[in-house]
Amino acid sequence: MRLTSRCLSLLLSLCAAVSLSAAASAKPPLVLAAASLQESLNAAADAWAAKHHERPVLSFAASSALAKQIDAGAPADLFISADEPWMDDIQKNGFVAPGTRVSFLGNTLVLAAPAASKGDIAIRPGFPLAKVLGDGKLAMADPDSVPAGKYGKAALTALGVWPSVQARVVRGDSVRAALAFVERGEAPYGIVYGTDALSSKAVRIAGVFPSSSHVPITYPIARLAGSTNRDAEAFRLFLISAQGRAIFRHYGFLPHTPQAL
Amino acid sequence: MLLSPDEWQIVGLSLKVSGVAVALTLPVAFGLAYLLARGKFPGKILLDALVYLPLVLPPVVTGWLLLIGFGLRGPIGSRVHDWFGLTLIFRWTGAALAAGIMALPLMVRAMRLSIEAVDRRIEGAARTLGASDWRVFWTITVPLALPGILAGIVLGFARSIGEFGATITFVSNIPGETQTLPIAIYAALQVPGSDAIVTRLALISVVLSLGALIVSELLARRAGVGRGGHVL
Repeated sequence: MRLTSRCLSLLLSLCAAVSLSAAASAKPPLVLAAASLQESLNAAADAWAAKHHERPVLSFAASSALAKQIDAGAPADLFISADEPWMDDIQKNGFVAPGTRVSFLGNTLVLAAPAASKGDIAIRPGFPLAKVLGDGKLAMADPDSVPAGKYGKAALTALGVWPSVQARVVRGDSVRAALAFVERGEAPYGIVYGTDALSSKAVRIAGVFPSSSHVPITYPIARLAGSTNRDAEAFRLFLISAQGRAIFRHYGFLPHTPQAL
Repeated sequence: MLLSPDEWQIVGLSLKVSGVAVALTLPVAFGLAYLLARGKFPGKILLDALVYLPLVLPPVVTGWLLLIGFGLRGPIGSRVHDWFGLTLIFRWTGAALAAGIMALPLMVRAMRLSIEAVDRRIEGAARTLGASDWRVFWTITVPLALPGILAGIVLGFARSIGEFGATITFVSNIPGETQTLPIAIYAALQVPGSDAIVTRLALISVVLSLGALIVSELLARRAGVGRGGHVL
């Protein structure tokens, strides 16, 4: 009993110390970002921190999951989505700070295969995807909600092969979950972004989807209406600046000249 | 309750996965429970800890271990595939394996407590009357421990229905194959305008889980395991 109360008081004083130290220093901005930005945005945050700013806290997940969290009132500062519809969703619900939404990156959609595999696939209307899958599965992000999955489903539908592979799809909860199944060789092919395939030594690009097969892949960024963080806007401007975009280009993204929406 | 065909498929798949998981785990769990309740052997503490490990290990770690061990490239998964033609990854069979492993600790615990509660003097009396060990086991030990065994089955079933972390890590999310109740709820949560589906599936989960807990509690009371009969 005495031990318990001692543990409890220790715990309480620890909590107090933690909350005190949190109050003493200004909190760094919290950035919710699409899973495909993992390496590039971390590099950008490092570059920002190197300029004597507090390094932002980055949280990566499927844009769909993040948008749902924002809709539920997640106290974040910036949001970077891998497609426009999810940004539309939170903007419609009033969570975007006016005048801060900018689409600043583009990407490609590719068919990734384990690095040890061989053979390129010409992706064109009616290409024999079901046949090359053999008895294996096609890994992709959830085609009902996650941007990479939605682009992938749209592309396969436009090429007329979706009905033949629909039942073979393994739905990852983000594009990185799909990438991981290909990296391990558990799925012979996966639909991921070109940047995802470049980020992994364990996969290679077996084919690139023609850009005409899906709507352009764009990454909008916005500051959230509820954000009060002083650094958040400065970090957003840094990311969309020429210097920020150069970092993303290094990781294979196709930066746009920012167009405010 | 009115469900769409897709939703019935999700519920049906969950029941199939959990049913198979519990049925296959049952003999293993009972053997371990008996060993832990009655056995005296070196390494018992280690076995005890290993059995309960899935209860406290982060489920995603269990899922990852399954993925590297039982995947098509894994040392066990590749042999199971070659020898028996059985694929576990991305299949409902893999979901059942994950659910069974997660259910094991709860099943062992309920069964072990009830085996420990069996009055060994009754077994001794049966033996003095000439009953063989085998007969004592089936006519005294098992019937007396039965409520705990049933409680273990029900708890294990409830745990299997709710299994998420190890399952999504190991067999991912494939509608009609591995998309069980929690995974369907998680996927639906990310789709706009899916509140009604989420609500219906969540309600089914609550009803199944609550029902299982009440049944297991009633069984445990009949067994008189411990004071108040709590098995949790």
